[in-house]
Amino acid sequence: MDKQIRIFDPTITPKEQALRYAPRPASLQGKKVGLVENTKYNSDTLLLKIGKILQDEYGVQGMLMRRKRSSGVPAHEEIIRDILAECDVVIAGVGD
Amino acid sequence: MSSANPQAHAYEVSDTAEAIEFYYEKGWTDGLPVVPPTEASIRAMLDAGRLEPGQEIAFIENRQISVTAEKAAINAVMAGCKPEYMPVVVAAIEAIGDPQYGYHGPAASTGGSAVFMLVNGPIARELDINCGDNLFGPGWRANATIGRAVRLIMRNAIGTLPGKLDRSTLGHPGKYTYCIAENEAESPWPPVHVERGFRPEQNAVTVFAALAPHQIGNQLSNTAMGVLTTLADGMRISGSVTGQPQYAVVIAGEHMRVIGDDGWSKADIKQFLFDHTHNSIAHLKRTNRMPGAVLPEDETTMRPLVQTPEDIIAIAAGSKAGVFSAFIPGWGGKNASQSVTKEIRRP
Repeated sequence: MDKQIRIFDPTITPKEQALRYAPRPASLQGKKVGLVENTKYNSDTLLLKIGKILQDEYGVQGMLMRRKRSSGVPAHEEIIRDILAECDVVIAGVGD
Repeated sequence: MSSANPQAHAYEVSDTAEAIEFYYEKGWTDGLPVVPPTEASIRAMLDAGRLEPGQEIAFIENRQISVTAEKAAINAVMAGCKPEYMPVVVAAIEAIGDPQYGYHGPAASTGGSAVFMLVNGPIARELDINCGDNLFGPGWRANATIGRAVRLIMRNAIGTLPGKLDRSTLGHPGKYTYCIAENEAESPWPPVHVERGFRPEQNAVTVFAALAPHQIGNQLSNTAMGVLTTLADGMRISGSVTGQPQYAVVIAGEHMRVIGDDGWSKADIKQFLFDHTHNSIAHLKRTNRMPGAVLPEDETTMRPLVQTPEDIIAIAAGSKAGVFSAFIPGWGGKNASQSVTKEIRRP
């Protein structure tokens, strides 16, 4: 039977983005680590524990914790500015 | 009138039944059959909104998605919209693309919200958008298909797929459609769009990242305070409780008259609900909604459910009969997503 109806694709392909990872330091010795607290309960406790492990076992020299406005939004401008100015590496994430 | 052929990729099928199955196979439906979008029906949708096919309606930053008029129109056809609904769909998509709504959070969150849509202005009556009986139930084409179109655009155009970029733990039935109008003809109060700076004769849609509606009953009170005491008591422990999202309350017929006859304004309603929905920190800790041991001062330290009285959207809608109203908790917190009102522009 001949094809009789033309129908159309409702989807959109996202714009391609070239993402690249920031260069990784060869060692964390003497580095300062930024911790982005996402506001979920106990996220600060978890991040501080991670920070302590990095200090005790990997030689990290300092930590800077900054709190987002909400777990549902990206880190705001001041956080990014502070971490860029003061930190060598940063730990951020969100989860339940 | 747009005369260009659709730019979207086309497929050929033998008949409507095959087309419907084709959309299922592609994963392009919400689980219900869709209306197959043809060149003529897509064009009618674009013409009704006087839209160019490539025109951008919204840009979703986190997803790097530009929602074009043509893709919105294709999904609106699939949802079963009449062409004259298209301006409402467009305004709703503009609204969820507004940074204040913060699309990615409520769309992707395990918290599982839907896009609640309130249509205000004369267009609601013209399109027969239900504001009365069975308000959140089925039976009205405009309510059913406008909300469905927005969800299909979220799914197909913006990639909000369950288990992928929609990680809702539970979701709720409003994710099929969640569109109502306000009963402006009988309400004793200014409609929501007028509260937000529009003129009564303008048309507007308000979107709000929302959980499911919760019904409360009060058939005993003949005072505003009596009815609202029941509503506040239902609201106090609801939704995410500690996140301080925005809320909507839907005041239906008999309650609307009782509260209106007492001379209470929407501002009075919001202030009363704000004042009577605080929780003690001690209670929030005892019920595992906040962490930590209960301290003596927690017994008398109170946390409001919402940040300000204006974070409660008061809507007059629902059947004339019955002693029920509803509250709708917002998703997450106001710091992540806020309701947005956009004008519905008609050619």
